[in-house]
Amino acid sequence: MQTTNKRSWIKKVFVIILVLLLAGGIAIYLIFTEKFEDTQKQSAAFSISADELLKEFQTNESAANKKYIEKIILVNGKIVETEAVDSAINIKMKDTLTGSYIIFAFQDQHIKDAKQFKEGDNVSIKGSCSGGIYSKILETEFISFKRCALNK
Amino acid sequence: MKKSIILFAMVGLTTLAFAQKKQTTTSATIIFDATTSLDKLPKADNKTVVASLDTKTGNLAFESVIKSFTFSNPKMQEHFNGDKWMDSDKFATATFSGKITNLSAVNFKKDGTYNANVTGDLSLHGITKPVTTVASIIVLGKTISTTTNFSVKLADYGVNGGAIAAGKVATEPKISVTADFK
Repeated sequence: MQTTNKRSWIKKVFVIILVLLLAGGIAIYLIFTEKFEDTQKQSAAFSISADELLKEFQTNESAANKKYIEKIILVNGKIVETEAVDSAINIKMKDTLTGSYIIFAFQDQHIKDAKQFKEGDNVSIKGSCSGGIYSKILETEFISFKRCALNK
Repeated sequence: MKKSIILFAMVGLTTLAFAQKKQTTTSATIIFDATTSLDKLPKADNKTVVASLDTKTGNLAFESVIKSFTFSNPKMQEHFNGDKWMDSDKFATATFSGKITNLSAVNFKKDGTYNANVTGDLSLHGITKPVTTVASIIVLGKTISTTTNFSVKLADYGVNGGAIAAGKVATEPKISVTADFK
């Protein structure tokens, strides 16, 4: 009787360990095969004009970084410049008085949209904010965005 | 009055001539490849690197925001920016400042492909170390395209961690820098 109980107990522990191992394995697999979501489908934490965003960073860079870094932001503004990067294109919005700028690098699936843009176009771009920093090379503030998409 | 106009014009032209020697781009690219046979995930690129090239002095520089590196996997990007790795909250940029040491071998006014010896200081994770590499420079009309590949020993820059010790992250990741000056 005692032996049967012991066997049943060992069996239960074995099954629990197996289930835990399997769950852990699946969790690790999911974490490391996960890809970044399409930014176009994500909702923005903030919606702001390029001028206002630049002003916020110029006024208090540290506070603006805390507020915006790694958040999805919707930026509205006029394209001042486009720059080719390999087969892709970066879009720039700029404060022409100070030279400070915002630069948007696009998610692979949205590069074709970015290529349609021209200087002077008014656009709404959504992207993950990498923060603002003072460039010692250009002697101006710049804010960079990654994984961008046209807001549709 | 006439003299003043001529003087202003001369100052303007001189300034323009000097300004044209230092060229800049805000869309240089850095590819960071720390993949190993065990893990193909630690690879990222940053397409919004600021770079400058002075064709007169041969001075070369770049600034790269660490948080601008884009990985395919969110967890890997989080690890890369975390305090055990690049600690990007504390050390927001990686910078290089150096110069072409064989400037006479590069003719920026003539179309062609040139090999430039570059030496300078790379600052990463708050630590600055000398780096020497060869850059390929392609001059085509008014465009100067530069490419260089080198590797960095993470331990030299105080970047250590379990993943490196376990062989999941290369101890000497390959760095590829491309900048087009127009």
